[in-house]
Amino acid sequence: MKNRRFHPTAMTAMALPLIVALANPAAAEIRIGSLSALTGPAADLVKQVFGAEQAAIDEINQAGGILGQQVRLIPADTACNAQVGVDAANKLINIEQVAAIIGGTCSGETIPAASNVAGPAGVLMVSPVSTSPEITNLNDRGVLFRVVPSDNFQGVYMARLLLSKDIKKVALTYVNNDYGVGLAEAFRAAFVAGGGQIAGDSVHEDKKESYRAELATLASGGAETLVLFAIGDSSGLTIMRQSLEAGLFQRFAVADGMKVSALLEGIGTENLEGRIIGSVPTAAVGPQSDRFKDLYGKTDKFTFGYTFTAQGYDAAMITALAIEKAGSTDRRAILNAVRDVTNAPGEVVGPGDWAKAVSLIKAGKDINYSGAAGDHEFDGNGDVGGVFSEWTVKGGELVVSPPVAAGN
Amino acid sequence: MDQALMFVNAYLIPGLVSGSIYALGAIGLTLLFGVLRFTHFAHGDVMTAGAYLALAGVGLFGLHPIMALPLAMAGTSLLCLGINHFFYAPLMKRPSLVLTISSFGVALMIRAAIQLIYGVESQYYVRGIQKSREVFGTFRIVDRHIWIGCSAVALMLALHLLLTRTRLGKAMRAVSDSPDLARLTGISTTTVIRYTWVIGGSLAAVAGVFLGWDGYVHANMGWDQLLPISAAAILGGLGRPYGAMVGGLVIGMAEELSSYPWLGGDALLSPGYKTGVAFAIMVAMLIWRPNGLFGEKVR
Repeated sequence: MKNRRFHPTAMTAMALPLIVALANPAAAEIRIGSLSALTGPAADLVKQVFGAEQAAIDEINQAGGILGQQVRLIPADTACNAQVGVDAANKLINIEQVAAIIGGTCSGETIPAASNVAGPAGVLMVSPVSTSPEITNLNDRGVLFRVVPSDNFQGVYMARLLLSKDIKKVALTYVNNDYGVGLAEAFRAAFVAGGGQIAGDSVHEDKKESYRAELATLASGGAETLVLFAIGDSSGLTIMRQSLEAGLFQRFAVADGMKVSALLEGIGTENLEGRIIGSVPTAAVGPQSDRFKDLYGKTDKFTFGYTFTAQGYDAAMITALAIEKAGSTDRRAILNAVRDVTNAPGEVVGPGDWAKAVSLIKAGKDINYSGAAGDHEFDGNGDVGGVFSEWTVKGGELVVSPPVAAGN
Repeated sequence: MDQALMFVNAYLIPGLVSGSIYALGAIGLTLLFGVLRFTHFAHGDVMTAGAYLALAGVGLFGLHPIMALPLAMAGTSLLCLGINHFFYAPLMKRPSLVLTISSFGVALMIRAAIQLIYGVESQYYVRGIQKSREVFGTFRIVDRHIWIGCSAVALMLALHLLLTRTRLGKAMRAVSDSPDLARLTGISTTTVIRYTWVIGGSLAAVAGVFLGWDGYVHANMGWDQLLPISAAAILGGLGRPYGAMVGGLVIGMAEELSSYPWLGGDALLSPGYKTGVAFAIMVAMLIWRPNGLFGEKVR
């Protein structure tokens, strides 16, 4: 933690190239926006995802760029907030004039940004993080794709995981936003249908100081396991801490939003030993994920293996491939090219294959991007099927089990 | 768990703790309103600044959060004096709306500076968890809640003595009642304004440290508390420090107790509506008693 606390010099050093870049407008460049919650409750996670997106863009630039031009990734902060997210999307599309957008991150910002801003403008959005089931049937005029599976699948996966461990009675609390509500609805339906009982079910407001009242009510149902769908450096952290301090629940069943270092370091892995039953959408294991590990296993651009970093990389690659395939920065042509470059049939290209992909596209061949996090075969709604892993804390370490396919 | 015990442990104590934090923040807001006649919207971010200054003390010197309080209070006071000198003092002759709007700008500057220096991740003073201890053999309370409660009471008592027993306190109250009359009697309003910033800033710093200690330290933590703090200040009557103390406790308790199952069975009000409780109280007060519980006349 200590080294993360004080780095003003490092920050200044990082800001310098940015200032130079701003002061020095390149003659011809491709501009891609990143709609990311760089501040706010999900900042810990999104910072890593953005690092992975930037890594992909750097790799593309080194391999010759898109359409022979260098690419610039322009971030816009959404603060994990719907209003700020809409403003940020507006800025990217109308002021920065980006060709396409990677993002958003929090479902609550992605949904309004896609339906109100990017949709009407016809600008492609590829989200590496937004998992809300709401997105599947969202009226986004076909602009929104995502490389993470819907929480419909994760909710069902969590329900089956608990039932398979013979946990039949749980209390459920979830954060009051598109992410928490969507996940809870999918979980509730699957868990009850599978014979489980939900003893205590309550939504909670983010960013409050005390959740002891909620916890007392939830614990009064007599369940020993708390299903907690929240974000680990915000309400999720507070709820877990206060519950452990009061000794209310034995185990916590948590999803992807809780697999963040702020939670594990803040509460301490020794206090979480054997208490976590976690789920996380993960990368399918295969030649492409091995290749990704070869390329970025030791990178300093992001923490390899951090939640949704592989998806961030893939979202950037797919966006870039769509622009390359479109042959120009015409927004409509880019949208139409997405399925061409990611869905079968076609010659498979993966992480590190930028130059090969470009030459295949130039030769008029069909390509099929198969990424670090999965095959990414988009369905009619722009969704992909999912692969999930169970994670827990064991022997003071975060342990992730081999992935299981679910959905589509 | 026994019903009465659950009431004390899960509703009453958390209500008192958040009430104390709101009260400390609201006192500063209300004192500043009394003397300067504008609502200081950057007050939540002043709290955040205090919390991060203490974090520096905890991180650099390994201090206990309580021992880091003086550092946070001193640093935040300096910050407030600087803000006043560079931003508010030059605008003092302009309509109070100008000051209010500029305080929004100051809030953004403080928050952005914190994010630039410390990053955007949530941080914490003490790693791990603190198991609750039994008091009188029945109630369970976490040590830090005892610290927070006692420190808040001590600070409020100190403020009471300052306001009633010292020349400065009398001068502050005089300026608050009528700035022009106070100036005619030879009170230096500039000095009073400076001391008000020191007191308001220090109390905000303490509130910020307590907030971070009980939860986590985050760049938006103070801004997110602005609504309940404003509600507390309005409830007590803007410009009334005693009102702010009571107002803070009332808002904190109301938020927690509104979700107690008073009628048996389910929570009276879903805990998801806690923020709404503070807001509802604020709106109701503005409609029916805009001067607050302790206000006397319409300004």
